[in-house]
Amino acid sequence: MRRWVSAAAGTALVLAVTPAQAGWKSYINRELGFSFMAPGEIKTDVGTFRGAVAGPRETIVYRSVDNNIEYKVTVMSFLQAQAEGATILGEREYMFQEKKKVLMDAFGRVEPGKDAVYGRKIVVDLPDHKGRTTGAFYFTKGRLISLEATVLPANGDFGSPDPALFVDSIAFTLSRTEPGAVELETPKLE
Amino acid sequence: MRLTALAVLLGVALAAPTGPAMAAWRGYISHPLGFAFAAPGELKVEKGTYQGTVAGQHDTLIYRFIDDNIEYKAVVIDVGDKANDAANLLGEAEYLFQEKKKVLMDTFGRVDRQYGRKFTIELPNNGGRTTAAFYFVNGRIVSLQATVLPANGDYETPEMGRFVDSITFFTVRAADDAIELPAPPK
Repeated sequence: MRRWVSAAAGTALVLAVTPAQAGWKSYINRELGFSFMAPGEIKTDVGTFRGAVAGPRETIVYRSVDNNIEYKVTVMSFLQAQAEGATILGEREYMFQEKKKVLMDAFGRVEPGKDAVYGRKIVVDLPDHKGRTTGAFYFTKGRLISLEATVLPANGDFGSPDPALFVDSIAFTLSRTEPGAVELETPKLE
Repeated sequence: MRLTALAVLLGVALAAPTGPAMAAWRGYISHPLGFAFAAPGELKVEKGTYQGTVAGQHDTLIYRFIDDNIEYKAVVIDVGDKANDAANLLGEAEYLFQEKKKVLMDTFGRVDRQYGRKFTIELPNNGGRTTAAFYFVNGRIVSLQATVLPANGDYETPEMGRFVDSITFFTVRAADDAIELPAPPK
């Protein structure tokens, strides 16, 4: 009996020091045409991006932090430059890994058959031991959509499967999205 | 003295390579297509077809050269009717190129404001080694591919890299004496 109590106390201690893993939820933005899954509370923001080819762009950012892993979906619109999509996507991927240690750089392919969307998945170590980021990059229907999950040093489990779970959850065929997905708002850009 | 000189000359002649002479590299340019490159050997122009699940079927224009058992190809796939899907079409072409092959290199290609990819693969059944570069420019997938055939066997040759890296999309950067590439055969 005493042994059982001490085991229970031990379990309680472990639970107390391990940050609670927030439940993963599905999110969908029908206007922008994608869905994904992430843990934690999603906050919507706008930001900026500048590339030599892409030029200055406003971005829509959906961000959450859970267990010292930052999850971020960034959307940029290039509706007037869709024929430049391959170069714009290539530039974004290049900038993501520039001057960083690249651990993986592979094809990303979402959706089957003729609906397939081709992109890249890249894992980098951030400079100055600031963590490890898994990114996935796609350009479809005039929008550049990137998913980035960064395991921060405070988490330290750089082999965590959660970043891959996040970037691989992207869907562009919305019929694949779980029923009951949370609808994301689309902030107005200038 | 005269005999010695003759012997030296004979020796030099005998020591000269007995294999096929390597052709000089020349610059080529296509003003309508907006690119230039350099290649050795005799130019042949061919037509072909490209098929991708996303892209569908499209005509291709191929500029082909063979020199020293290395095949050099500039492949142009006109996907102008689907140019708005540029990123996806380029990604599919790259994916198909390396599918089910042993990939030795897969890296960024960056030329004259254009971002693409460069690959080196081993062909199945000891068919040789290919280095290729893929770009999407003006509604076209442009790919340069150099294949070292088994008859050559020097899979580390720098000629493959020289070919794919010779591409330029700023035609002012083409060689001054670059030869204008002919239009495809009717």
